[in-house]
Amino acid sequence: MATPILQVRDLRTQFMTDGGIVTAVDGVSFDLHQGESLGIVGESGSGKSVTALSLLRLVPDPGRVVGGKVLFKNQDLLQLTDDEIREVRGRDISMIFQDPQSSLNPVLRTGFQIDEAMLAHGRPKAEAHARTVDLLKQVRIPAAESRVKDFPHQLSGGMRQRAMIAMGLSNAPQILIADEPTTALDVTVQAQILELLGDLNRELGAAVIMITHNMGVVAGLCTRVIVMYAGQIVEQGTVEQIFANPQHPYTWSLLRSMPRVDAVRHERLRSIEGIAPDLLHPPAGCRFHPRCPFRIEKCYTDEPVLEEHGPDNLAACWVTMDRARKEMGADDLVDIRPGAGSGVHKGQVK
Amino acid sequence: MATATTTAQVSEAEILPEQQTLWSDAWRRLKRNRLALVATIYLVFLIVVALVALVYTPYRMSAVGIAPTYAPPSAAHWFGADSIGRDVLSRLMVGAQVSLIVGVGTQLLVIAVGVPIGLLAGYYRGWLDSVLTFIINVFYGIPDLLVAMIMVFLLGPSLTNIIVAIVVTRWMDMARLMRGQTMSLREREFIEAARASGAKPARILFGHIFPNALGPIIVQATFGVPAAILFEAFLSFLGVGVQPPTPSWGSMASDGISALEYAPHIVLVPSIALSLTLLAFNFLGDGLRDALDPRQKR
Repeated sequence: MATPILQVRDLRTQFMTDGGIVTAVDGVSFDLHQGESLGIVGESGSGKSVTALSLLRLVPDPGRVVGGKVLFKNQDLLQLTDDEIREVRGRDISMIFQDPQSSLNPVLRTGFQIDEAMLAHGRPKAEAHARTVDLLKQVRIPAAESRVKDFPHQLSGGMRQRAMIAMGLSNAPQILIADEPTTALDVTVQAQILELLGDLNRELGAAVIMITHNMGVVAGLCTRVIVMYAGQIVEQGTVEQIFANPQHPYTWSLLRSMPRVDAVRHERLRSIEGIAPDLLHPPAGCRFHPRCPFRIEKCYTDEPVLEEHGPDNLAACWVTMDRARKEMGADDLVDIRPGAGSGVHKGQVK
Repeated sequence: MATATTTAQVSEAEILPEQQTLWSDAWRRLKRNRLALVATIYLVFLIVVALVALVYTPYRMSAVGIAPTYAPPSAAHWFGADSIGRDVLSRLMVGAQVSLIVGVGTQLLVIAVGVPIGLLAGYYRGWLDSVLTFIINVFYGIPDLLVAMIMVFLLGPSLTNIIVAIVVTRWMDMARLMRGQTMSLREREFIEAARASGAKPARILFGHIFPNALGPIIVQATFGVPAAILFEAFLSFLGVGVQPPTPSWGSMASDGISALEYAPHIVLVPSIALSLTLLAFNFLGDGLRDALDPRQKR
């Protein structure tokens, strides 16, 4: 593959709290290729959102990016001046947020806010205005011509998120970061928004970074997956590999705890034992060891590093699931990707 | 066929949410508040009177001896005459101009000074906030009447200088309000979204935060108007306000105070006008505060 469009190297972001320093993103490195769709998954507090905010230097106080590199087209975004990074935001890399209810300004007309995103990057007013209607059509908002004059509260949640996506796309960015874009929406609307993001990713060729805690979202949209736990990447791989053959016990537990329509009836929904670690005092050794069913002596003391466990697969684990299955009796997983042939649909899949 | 179309149109109109903005919503709620509505009508009347006084007063406001001195209210002179036989009604009408210009003028200037200071302090925080907050507190600490009197004394007692003097002693409330508003608004997600789309700080401050704080600003300014009018009346009463022959309600009351026993109307008329106006602005402010409160969805 060609050179990645975005190279993140050893990114570290800390929050200086009253209780001490919390390292929310701890040495994260990954590549993003042109037109690719990358999922970053993890539970609340795993540092996935802060990672996304760090890329554009939008981390709120008292947080600060303290180290690493974010190379976009061979320039380090972390070294740019405030004016330079502002030019990158919204033009080269844009971001859409979790709650469309609160990410549109309630007192400004929706169309005006989309115009503004283009005006901020020097597009002439008339052109921006004309493009806004086109964008709203592109994100499939019905009656786009009249909707531009609406205030955000006159739009439904789904429409608001579509408007946010239109705003994100307004300057034809090369990277679109979507921070849990469907969490605040109801399920049918979620599916529509995901489908829209997928189509736009294919049609426009913009790379998408999808931040989510929902494995199903990743399965439907992404080609590559990063799994984060306690501020670090624990596993990275293609979507096929992650879903069919995860190597990190955390990834395995995440997949196993998903509710499934084809599960044996009356079986209790499985959860991951324990709670996410306190990042003020992260556990020694592997950060997942207190909750890991397959831990060994070494996990208590030595921190694992990301190692290659297969083609295009990295995992930070001393045991890995291959060994856990062979020696410790871990369950096999059923691949849940659409069309991957789970139990119920087996007969219909080629 | 025709009926079918009509039905379709009607049902569509019912389904689509009414095109309501924050402001039309607020206006609807304000109209339902009786006191605020009466206050609004009174203030509109006052503005009309002040405008009419530009081109017409029953008598020339500075004409001396057109009525017997201390003449009580009569058909020819509705509010009587003052100590040198000037028509009180004519002077009251011109005085309304002074009061409205002072009241509205100071608040516009207060907004122009207080809002940017509050925005900067609330948005950037840190040392800038500390410095600006310190300045605000220093201004709170100085006695306003003394400063206003010294300023008018030094600059000369023109209407503009009186307005400037009142602004100097009264801008801090607005700055403080705006600072608080900014501090809470800057944490909202749409500000983060605006930053993520590459908006410049000036755009975020004046294009995003300011319009969201407009409700509280308007309420604060509405309460500021009567305070400024009263302050001007007080200065004029003390003789350091608007200078003769231009009448101010304060100086009119001051003129009549020596004749309070046998010609009380000279004091009462401007005092009642002043009281009614202050009351009306306060009722309007109250009504606006309720009408612009987003939590109150009635």
